[in-house]
Amino acid sequence: MDTFQRLSSTFKRLLEAFLLVMAVVVLNFLLIQLAPGDPVEVIVGEMGGASEELMAQLRAQYGLDRPVIEQLGIYVGKVLTGDLGYSYYFNTPVLDLLLQRVPATVLLVMTALFLSVLVGTIAGAVSAKKPDGIGSHIVTIISLVGYSAPVFWIGMMLIILFASMWPIFPVAGMYSIRRPDGFAYYVDILHHLALPAITLATIYVAFYSRLARTSMIEVLGQDYIRTARAKGLSERKVVWKHGLKNGLIPIVTMVGLQFGQLFAGAVLVETVFNWPGLGRLAYESILRRDYPTLLGILLFSAVLVMIANALTDLAYRWIDPRIRKT
Amino acid sequence: MKHWKSFLAATCLAALGAGSALAQSSVVIGTPGVPRHFNGAIQSGIYTFLPSANIFASPLRYSDSWEPEPYLAESWEVSDDGLTVTLKLKDGVTFHDGEPLTSADVAFSIETIKENHPFKTMLEPVESVDTPDDLTAVINLAHPHPALLLAMSPTLMPIIPEHIYGPDNGPIRENPANLAPVGSGPFKMEEYKQGEFYKLVKNEDFFLEDKPKLDEIYVQIFPDVKSILLALERGDIDMVTFLSSPRDLSRLEENDDLVVESDLGQAIGPINWIAYNTKKEPLNKVEVRQAINYAIDRDFILNVLLQGKAPLASGPIDPGSPLANPDVEGYDLDLEKAAAMLDEAGYPVGDDGMRFTLTGDTTIADEEMGRNVLQYMKAQLKKIGVGLELRLAPDFPTWAKRISNYDFDITIDKVFNWGDPVIGVNRTYVSSNIRPGVIWSNTQQYENPKVDQLLADAATETDPAKRKALYDEFQTIVVDDSPIYFLNVIPYSTVYQKGLTGVPDGIWGAVAPMDDMAWEE
Amino acid sequence: MNTQAIASPDARADTAPLPASKPDHPLRETLKIFLKNKSAAGGLILLTIILLGTTIGPALYGVDAYEMVWMPLSPPGDGTPLGTDYIGRDILAGILIGGRVTLIVGAASAVMTIVIGILVGAFSGFFGGRVDAALMKFTEFFQVLPSLLLAMVLVTIFSPSIGTIIFAIGIVGWAQVARLTRAEFLRIGNLEYVKAARAAGARDGYLMFRVILPGSLPPIIVSSALVTGASILFEAGLGYLGLGDPNTLSWGMIIGQNQNYLLDAWWTVTCPGIAIFLTVLAISLIGDGINDALNPRARKRA
Repeated sequence: MDTFQRLSSTFKRLLEAFLLVMAVVVLNFLLIQLAPGDPVEVIVGEMGGASEELMAQLRAQYGLDRPVIEQLGIYVGKVLTGDLGYSYYFNTPVLDLLLQRVPATVLLVMTALFLSVLVGTIAGAVSAKKPDGIGSHIVTIISLVGYSAPVFWIGMMLIILFASMWPIFPVAGMYSIRRPDGFAYYVDILHHLALPAITLATIYVAFYSRLARTSMIEVLGQDYIRTARAKGLSERKVVWKHGLKNGLIPIVTMVGLQFGQLFAGAVLVETVFNWPGLGRLAYESILRRDYPTLLGILLFSAVLVMIANALTDLAYRWIDPRIRKT
Repeated sequence: MKHWKSFLAATCLAALGAGSALAQSSVVIGTPGVPRHFNGAIQSGIYTFLPSANIFASPLRYSDSWEPEPYLAESWEVSDDGLTVTLKLKDGVTFHDGEPLTSADVAFSIETIKENHPFKTMLEPVESVDTPDDLTAVINLAHPHPALLLAMSPTLMPIIPEHIYGPDNGPIRENPANLAPVGSGPFKMEEYKQGEFYKLVKNEDFFLEDKPKLDEIYVQIFPDVKSILLALERGDIDMVTFLSSPRDLSRLEENDDLVVESDLGQAIGPINWIAYNTKKEPLNKVEVRQAINYAIDRDFILNVLLQGKAPLASGPIDPGSPLANPDVEGYDLDLEKAAAMLDEAGYPVGDDGMRFTLTGDTTIADEEMGRNVLQYMKAQLKKIGVGLELRLAPDFPTWAKRISNYDFDITIDKVFNWGDPVIGVNRTYVSSNIRPGVIWSNTQQYENPKVDQLLADAATETDPAKRKALYDEFQTIVVDDSPIYFLNVIPYSTVYQKGLTGVPDGIWGAVAPMDDMAWEE
Repeated sequence: MNTQAIASPDARADTAPLPASKPDHPLRETLKIFLKNKSAAGGLILLTIILLGTTIGPALYGVDAYEMVWMPLSPPGDGTPLGTDYIGRDILAGILIGGRVTLIVGAASAVMTIVIGILVGAFSGFFGGRVDAALMKFTEFFQVLPSLLLAMVLVTIFSPSIGTIIFAIGIVGWAQVARLTRAEFLRIGNLEYVKAARAAGARDGYLMFRVILPGSLPPIIVSSALVTGASILFEAGLGYLGLGDPNTLSWGMIIGQNQNYLLDAWWTVTCPGIAIFLTVLAISLIGDGINDALNPRARKRA
């Protein structure tokens, strides 16, 4: 009975997640139809003009001349079979296009996330140890800057400083076009990755250091920490082992919750740095009325968020044994 | 995760490939546009033309003085009545896959282009193509069509192999070879990574002796000009085509490592202008349009806003074309005259100091030659009591929808000549081309029977002098009627690193074969 | 950008557990504590200066921000205090006038965000059951979508104008406020004084908005400061991407329009960026101050 219940609840959750994703697809499909102009106009624009007949021909080829509901039906039907359609603009299956761009975005977002969680947590923990110390004030200031400055602007400032005035980093792209061999190739990518990752990380450093500080201050005031201290454990062990482990809980929660939104920050950062990722592709596909591509990206990010939420649940259980029991 | 690994593996391979090729001569070109595909027979636009003109060869190519030269065709002959054009092809030309190029391919290509190319008028009079033998193609015309020879340029008439693009392989628009093209031009397509770059390599069996000189050409796609410029200045890329911002050109000219070539592409004839909706009050009155012209200081636009980088376009035909009429009247700045004309036209100044308010359209992407011009116009028109409300479309389709459905008063527009006026000029002025929903048709809704007649006559006039006279008159009338106030030629320039030679700088600008390009020894 | 927008209300984890015994916190005391807080007072002064600058500043400075007044891209001090942009418009004038749009859009969309958030959260928390489940699914839907992309789609569809931008920002960012409000409603709904009011026969509307809402306001107020800051950043992001109202100037738009001249003219993007930074900073400091003033535990710490 217990197993059955668990299975059915898992099934229910899956079903709900599925319906949510479909809702995202349907709503956005309909929304986008409201936009003035269609992909054929974009194509004709690039061609330098075309006749009425050719435009009609293209619309027929892409099925754009059919009623919206029928187009929606066809699209949903395809999505259900794993076919994300065909990009009008790039003339290629959307899935291929996404798979080409996903690694760049994942690399950027994960690096930024890693940097910010690492730096943020350490800074937060340090400042929590001495809430009135200089370190604490510095964390406050950095977090205020990171929170208050627009991320694209931070990127531009970094470009001015480190790609123009003191050109130690490349200004745009993910790799040099004449790609170096083997190991040098990865160094080349890291070299290109530095500025965008730091830019994207600034928001989160601010955020996590703050969160870590609040959480650590709270945790360090708890009974079991006092017990640990009373047992004579070294202060370092108290803070870094017992304190941090529990202080991490809200951070993990936020990492999970934020995952989908990380992506939005990536749109701006990818635009500033010409990073060939999904964010930029999304922006371009809005401007080009490349509906299938945009819908594919939205679908992808919705699925990603849900997976992240599920993983957060798991991580949560691992860190906090109390939840495991319930 | 799996894809991440396969991505790494793929890029690793690409890296190895590129690395080993470094010893050879290569050029990296930066471009801001994504080609939809590479088949110039069914797709127009500079981003397709550039690779297409290098992958495919065409019957003729053109000198800087607009003279036809042999390319795939050894010789060509136009009959006295102008109704047949006979091409004699070079012997022994093969496509990249080794198959021979024959007159059947030429006939197939011409028919395909006529059927599918966006520029409908280009081959419209072609009735049939006869192929008496493998190396002779005879084009039969319904009426004389002097525009045909220019249409045989690499840009407009790529000869595509029938065995690849023919009906046996399904509808041509969906043919996978559009993205993996097979031609007979100086370069072969090797790799295309959608939206990122494509790589062309030397065609070892090219039919011209000792050409092409380069081993490979990379075309890297950047989404914005800023990053292209940076990459060029840092030496990451070697060449940029179709750069048109006066600000950028000025900046690059100061760079001693770079060459800025601006005097090219006259056949493309890209003209920037202010278009009026001639069916909408008060712009339906020619005096009102002229008054607005008089209120605008075109010299200020050219010399200050565009920093003297963009040549004046006094009429609808590129000043570099032999058919341009340099003697058309202009509208010199005269605010008093403008105000008087509006008074006379029945639009007195109201109590609020204004006569009427118009909207001015362009897209947000169009800065220097669009938004800035409108902003300047707004300030100028205020002086004669005319309001101008800017409507900047967030993207191209929004703008195109408005303009092609006549939902506008004034718009900035950019229209290209594309060779002969029959291809790119007529469409804007003939009354039969007022077609709602079609951008770059006669969206001004301009109607003048005299203009219709002149353009129809010029299209079939085989005598060059008479033809020129007809176009001269057409240009004078259009400037007078003012459905459009012509501003400037878009200064499309090619910028490249010093040491690069043979960069195409002819009448087709960068959308031409790069078979002569090489690094200086 | 909207990472900031969405995440921030929760960032102050310490705002939530407000002691229930104080639904009517003495306002005066709070204000006193707030003003004693140096950084909060600093934020207030900064914000006042910015508001004055954008309201009376343009008239005082007297330069038309939309006119070409000087050589394009001339550096600060060379004819104009903060230099000129790519068509010779005065950057300082642009910042003064551009602040209006930025602040109006930021404030109005924050109000919209908060109102939607409170309504959804209130109904959800108050009625519970199916209403709650349905509304929370609805909320989740908005959380799953990347808000910047959705806002971009909306602005593109309806063409950029101040109204559509406010609408787009307001509609995409309310999920966190709704969750916060719902949590407060769930907590306060079970408190004695609410139960008493309910027993006395108070109607649902009265209970929700007269009895429970005032009690749950403190954390919502704190989060409004953050939402406002985030909305300003959001507006800047849209302006930067070119999706601002073309007939006005805003700080984000000045940056976006000049981004191609970044390397020639650093001042064109640096100065408006500093203006955005200082504004959001001021609002954020004020938010912190309110938080500390309303939250006794945090107060002890300070």
